[in-house]
Parts: sequence; C-alpha cells; structure tokens
Amino acid sequence: MTLDELKAKIDTDFKDQVLASAVSPQKELIVTVKSEFYLSLCSQLRDQSEYSFQHLSCLTAVDYPKENKITLVDHLWSYAHSHQVTVKVDLPRDNPKIPTVENIWKSANWLEREVYDLYGVTFEGHSDLRRIMMPEDYKKYPLRKDFSDDGFIIKPN
Amino acid sequence: MTDLLLSQIRAGQESQFGTDEYVVNLGPQHPSTHGVLRLVVRLDGETVKETTPVLGYLHRSIEKICENRTYPQCITYTDRVDYVSAMSVNFAFAYAVEKLLGVEAPARAQWLRMIMVELQRIASHLLWMGSFGGDLGALTPLLYGMRERERIIDLFEMTCGQRLTYNYIRIGGVMIDILPEFVPKCRSFLDYFEKRVDEYESLLTYNPIFLERTKGVGVIAPEVGINCGVTGPALRGSGVSCDVRKKQPYLFYDQVKFEEALGTDGDCWSRYRVRMDEMVQSVSIIRQCLDRLEPGPVEAKLPPVLKVPAGTEVYSRIESSRGEMGVYLVGDGTAKPWKCKFRCASFNNVYVLDQLTRGWKLADIMAVLGSMDMIVPEVDR
Amino acid sequence: MGEKIVEGVGGALHWVYTLLRLSAWASILDTIVVAVVMFALVAVFVMFLVWMERKVSAHMQSRIGPNRVGPFGLFQTLADAIKLTTKEDVRPVHRDKIPYFIAPIVAFVATFMGLVVIPFDQGMVVQDLNVGILYVIAITGFTVVAILTAGWSSNNKYALLGGFRSAAQIVSYEIPLVMSLVPIIMVTGSLSLKSIVEYQHQAGYWFVFPQIVAFIIFLISATAEANRAPFDIPEAESELIGGFHTEYSGVKFAMFFLGEYIAMVVSASVATAVFLGGWLPVPFLAFLHLPGFVWFVLKILFMIYLIMAFRWTFPRLRVDQLMDFGWKVLIPLSILNILVSGAVILMLEKGN
Repeated sequence: MTLDELKAKIDTDFKDQVLASAVSPQKELIVTVKSEFYLSLCSQLRDQSEYSFQHLSCLTAVDYPKENKITLVDHLWSYAHSHQVTVKVDLPRDNPKIPTVENIWKSANWLEREVYDLYGVTFEGHSDLRRIMMPEDYKKYPLRKDFSDDGFIIKPN
Repeated sequence: MTDLLLSQIRAGQESQFGTDEYVVNLGPQHPSTHGVLRLVVRLDGETVKETTPVLGYLHRSIEKICENRTYPQCITYTDRVDYVSAMSVNFAFAYAVEKLLGVEAPARAQWLRMIMVELQRIASHLLWMGSFGGDLGALTPLLYGMRERERIIDLFEMTCGQRLTYNYIRIGGVMIDILPEFVPKCRSFLDYFEKRVDEYESLLTYNPIFLERTKGVGVIAPEVGINCGVTGPALRGSGVSCDVRKKQPYLFYDQVKFEEALGTDGDCWSRYRVRMDEMVQSVSIIRQCLDRLEPGPVEAKLPPVLKVPAGTEVYSRIESSRGEMGVYLVGDGTAKPWKCKFRCASFNNVYVLDQLTRGWKLADIMAVLGSMDMIVPEVDR
Repeated sequence: MGEKIVEGVGGALHWVYTLLRLSAWASILDTIVVAVVMFALVAVFVMFLVWMERKVSAHMQSRIGPNRVGPFGLFQTLADAIKLTTKEDVRPVHRDKIPYFIAPIVAFVATFMGLVVIPFDQGMVVQDLNVGILYVIAITGFTVVAILTAGWSSNNKYALLGGFRSAAQIVSYEIPLVMSLVPIIMVTGSLSLKSIVEYQHQAGYWFVFPQIVAFIIFLISATAEANRAPFDIPEAESELIGGFHTEYSGVKFAMFFLGEYIAMVVSASVATAVFLGGWLPVPFLAFLHLPGFVWFVLKILFMIYLIMAFRWTFPRLRVDQLMDFGWKVLIPLSILNILVSGAVILMLEKGN
C-alpha cells in the first residue's frame, strides 16, 4: 500500500480513536492516537492482515516541557507489506501513564523499561518495570529537559 | 549486593525440590561477554534456569549529549555508539539528517559511502568470527580475522586517517575524496580476501566439535524473532528475509546485484553461515561499486550552520553489520536536535538471550551470545 | 649408550662418596642425587616446552611469538618463571587454609612422581617397577584430588564449577586410557615399561602399527587427562576465567601450570615407550647413530607437538558432549579393540 492509501485506511478504520494523521515531508505516516485507544490500535495494527505491523522497531519518548507533555513514539514496520507507520501518544508531563504493549510486541519489554528509566513514564501492566540503564536506586529521569544532576560528588572515606 | 541478586538467590532457595540452585555473576569484567555486560545466571548444576542481563555499565548518555551538540558535531559521537562498525553508524546519522533537510549527497559520495559501509561490514564480521571462535575455544580464527582486518583498517587509515572511529561520512557527503592508490589497493585486498574465506570455513564450518557446539543451540523461531525485535543476521539465520538494503533500499543498493544471505534452522550455526555468506556478498558489492565510481564532487553544498525546520522528525533505518540501525531525530528549528535516539540492533538481540538459553548449559550461553554478535556500547549507548 | 652414561656417572658419584667418607649413606645419597637431577632436567625441559608451545601457537596463528628475551626468545620462560616467583601471593580471605596450600603441591608432586618408571634409555630408568604402567596411571590420577581440593578451598563458585567439571572429565577418561594399553599388556605379558620397549626391540616393529586404534584412543585420553584443549573445560578462560586455579597466583599458580606440562610429558613418555618404541631408533634414520635417549626425547617432542596442535585448532567441547564422547565412543571402541586383539593373539598362538 502506498502511504496515502494507508493513511486513508487508518482514518476510516480508527475514525474516533485517531487525533491526527499526516504524511510528513520525509515520507512517513505519523498517526497521533488518544491515549485510551492506544492499546487497541496497536493490537489491531499488528493483527489485521492489511496492516500486519509485526515489527516494533523503536519505542521512545520526546519531552516537550513548553507544551507540558511527553509524547510516546512507536515506529512500526511490516515485513509482509514493507510499509512503516509512526504512532504517537501525548501524555501529561506530571504523571505520565499508559498501558503497556508488551503483550503485543515482546521487544517492548526492554524498550518500555528504557523509557521508564529515562523519562519516568509508567507503563501499566508491565511485567518487570525496573530501571535498565541507570542504577536501581537512582531517583531522577535523565532524558527529561529539566534534568540536572546537581554535580556528581564522590564522598571520600 | 543489589536487590536483583538477592531476589534471585531467594527464588533459588525457595525452589520446589530444594535443590541447590545457585546464582553466578558473569561479568561485567569477563573475557567473553564482549564488553561490560553483566549476566546474572541462575544455575542448577550446569543447567541454566534463568539468565538476566544487567545493562548500563557502558551507558554514556550519548543521546542526551547529542541534544546539546550541533548536527555535524554529533557525528563524532555516532562513532562511539558502535565502534566496531563506526562507518555504518556515521552513515545512519548523516542519512537521517539529510532526510530531514531534504538534501541528497552527490553520486560519487554515495558510491564511496557504499564502499566504506561494505568494507566496514566485512571488518565487523571478521572481528565477530574471531570472538565467536574464541568463546568456543578455537583461538586461531581470531588471529586470522585480525590479520585481514588490518588490511581493511589500512584502507580506512589511508582515506581518513583513523583506524577505529572514523568521522568520515558527513552530512551531505563524505569528508574527503579517496586517494588514487585506494582503488588498486582495495581491489587487491578483495582478491586476497575471497580465497581466505575458504580457509576460515575449513577451520570452523564443518569441524565436528564446532558443529556439536552450535547446531541446534539457541534456536530462534521466526515468529519469536520478529516479535522480540530481533533483526539482522540473527533473524536471517531463521530464514526471515529482513535485509533493509533489500526492503527499503538506500544509497545505490537497488542498482547493484547481491543476494540476501538466509539461513534455515535458526540456530547458532545458521547465524554463523549467514555472516560468512554476507562477507562474500559484500566483496561482490564492493567490486561493483569500484567499477561504477565516476569522478565528481564528494560533498553537497550546505549552509555553514545546519538548521532543521521546527516540527520535523524522521526515523531512518539502515542495515548495519549487526542488524537494523535506526536513527530517530526531531528537529526544533535550531542547529541542535531536540531529540536523538539510536535504535540499535544489539539491544533487542540481547533481550532474547534469556528465552534461548533456558534449560541449556552454561557453555551454551557463550555460544548463543557470540552468535548474536552483540556489542555492548550499542546496548547501553 | 644410556647404560654406559649411567654407569659412568654412578661410578664418579661413588668415588665422591668415598672421598667424603659417606659410603655408608650411598643408597640414600644416590636417591637424593637422582631426584635432584631429574627435577632439574625436567624443569629445564618444561621451560623449553612452554617456549615451544608459544612458538608453535604463534606460527599457527601467523604471528612470531617470543623473540626478544634470548636467542629466538628461548629465555622467555625463565623470565616468566622469575616473574611468577616474585609475584605477590594473593589469597582469598575466606579460603580453606590447609587444602588451599596443599592442592598445588599435590598437583605438582603427583605428576612428577610419574616420571619414576619412564625408561629414557637402555639403563636409564629411575626405578623399573614391574607394575610400571599401573603405577603411572594410579599416580597421575591424583591430580583429580588436587583439582577438586583447589576448587573447593578457593571459596569461589567459578573455581568450584571448574573443580567439578575437571573431576568428572578426568575420571571418565581414565578408563579408555587404561583400556587402550591392555592389548599391549596382553601381547607382552608385562606391565613394566622397560620390558615393553625391549619386546618391541625383539619383535622388530613398534606397537603403533598393529594397535593404531589404541594409539589414537590413548592420545585423545591423554589430552583429556592433562586438561588440554579441546578438553580444557576446567580452565575454560572464556567461561570461568580460570576455573579451578582462578584464585591462585604466583608460585602456587606456577605449580599448577608446571603440573599440567609435566602431565603432558608423562603421557607422551608412556605413549612413546608403549607405542613408538621408546629409545629405539626410527628405522630409516638409524644411520645417524644417535644415543637412545635422544630418540626418546625426539619422539616425546613429536607427541607433544601433536597435543599442542590440537589446542590451537579445535574449539572446546561442552561438558556433557565431552562425557558423551568419553563414555559412549571411546570406551566401547577400546573394549572392541581388546576383544579383537585378544582374538588375533589367540589365532596367532594357535597357528604356531
């Protein structure tokens, strides 16, 4: 399917769930979905044969402090049809929570742990939500734009 | 002791039959985890019950740093994301920025980039072959691989002066044109190397001990592989056609003839064969590129300060030596990226390690880890 | 030739004793002198072997190997030995003190004692026991105790794993080792290594030709007994760092290291004496008229070269595959060999 056909199909199939969908100048289809329909959209995107987005390439988050939101970004790729879609969800910056897609794509297990570690987004229903890069007892979320580590002080014995 | 280790030990003590399961820490300093990867392994005698990788020992916050550097400055950091295939990561980032800006590198630069990326693929697979053999106890292929790698690195040093972290592929083209001696030296290396691959195959491929260690070990079923995000030769070993050079061709990969190396069984041996075949295919690709090199400019005309318009983003993927390398960039109207994420193949490839090694022996963890061709800086960034 | 040397040296020694008025202690002094001489010779030979290993591995890997310390790097091992003896002795705090101390000593002494029955030349054997082969096998089996002790007393999970694996491996490969020698014992009717070599001298052929299967089984089992690749699970560097000798440093580590090489020398010597004709000259090179012990040493070097080449060619076997190979392939093969050899011996006797 071409990108425009894919966009039209998504617009019709998920009419009320999708906030916006557009084909960017870089030839990518970006779909912004409401957070309550995120899980169902993802599972349908994987399971329906016209989409068959079997491969979750990348799951990450972008911090927009001025608009007071953290956007969760999923990049999906279909081996069967060789097309790609980007799914975005906007989350409030104060307490970002979203259901996990771990049961849809297993690769999301670690990718979501990384987003939790670096941005502080809580994934409901995740089997093992722990920090992955930073030490277990680290308190801050490094990739947020307002992060400052107060210097790194090694106390002498 | 971290909570993780304590909880593992408690789990072992509470196990149903009261057998003495014990928890062993492989790493982070270990001769064969290819870097600082820590594996907490719960063992029952020699049998592995659970493998938990602990990451973060090489986390250098490259993504956060790149948010404070201009786009050309970020290229030096991309070398360190995967220092064994630095050219590929350089190119991944430069390609992503070119997509954002809408510029295209001139044809000669594209051919040169192809040659460098394919040479880098051969070099990376040689290092992998050496370390894979070394994990299994065959210490000689490592030295042979290094011998060949020296010749490739000499070619790179001739071109850009560096042996490991090149900073050669820039936004809009390459840093500098190749010297006239490059082409004949490259051709003579390719002729010499093609015969050498047979030498390595004779040492390892049908060796009965090697076959016993790798056949049937660490089988990735295709659906499991796709679902867990495995990409690259690790997935091609299971027979899934997933080469980004074929699916979403970039550079001039649609104009050169090469075959995608596919395995059949999904075990360590298939992955080994896939990488050996890929080396041979890369030789043929480089030959075709050398034939089609035409004189021309090697850099596109770009403004001195690269500013990306606000509200743009791109996710561009290439096939690096380990699998799909993706770069996700968000531009905000300034000369620095608002967000830069590297999607690295090793991150997902290490995730499946637990599933693959349950019920196998301790030695099989090494075999599987080696066959996945994992590089820790890619995992931690 | 060897007899003449031994008699000459013995005579000179006894003259020294009479000079020092110590003739009453002659037998004890003889033993001490022999022990010291053997130790010195073996130490020098092992140093040469370590250099040889490094050079052989280097040339197989298209490298050069040591070439700085002394001509062709021959003194490299001496430098390494000096380094090891001057190293700090790092010991784990919670080790089991006495076993930790004893284990390397046992490893070294056990293998060294195996050299007592090896006939280097016609009269050059320290003590030709009439149970020679039995003695060698029994003594070198002591290394299991040493390795297990080392693994246990180090208070380290890796070392323990290494100790277990090694014990399993050595115990399983003792059986094909002994059984591959049984046909030769059946033919010669003697366990003494000296009489086996003399039998080969009289029969005119070396035992390797009729018993090539036994030779190969012996070679493989000897490699396994010495914990050498492809059977070096106990010291698999890429898995367990050092295996049973992880926690040893300095002289203690040197003793384990030495023990491994001496085990290799002992196995090669037994193989040479039993299969390759001991001190007998190689038939088509007999015109060189070299002394018997020179032939013996050359044959040992050939065997050791084979064992070294194995290490740098093959990957390592996994523990259960190693056990499978020992129990399911080598032992049935050696039993079959005994049966067939026995049948052939009977037929030849009946024929006569």
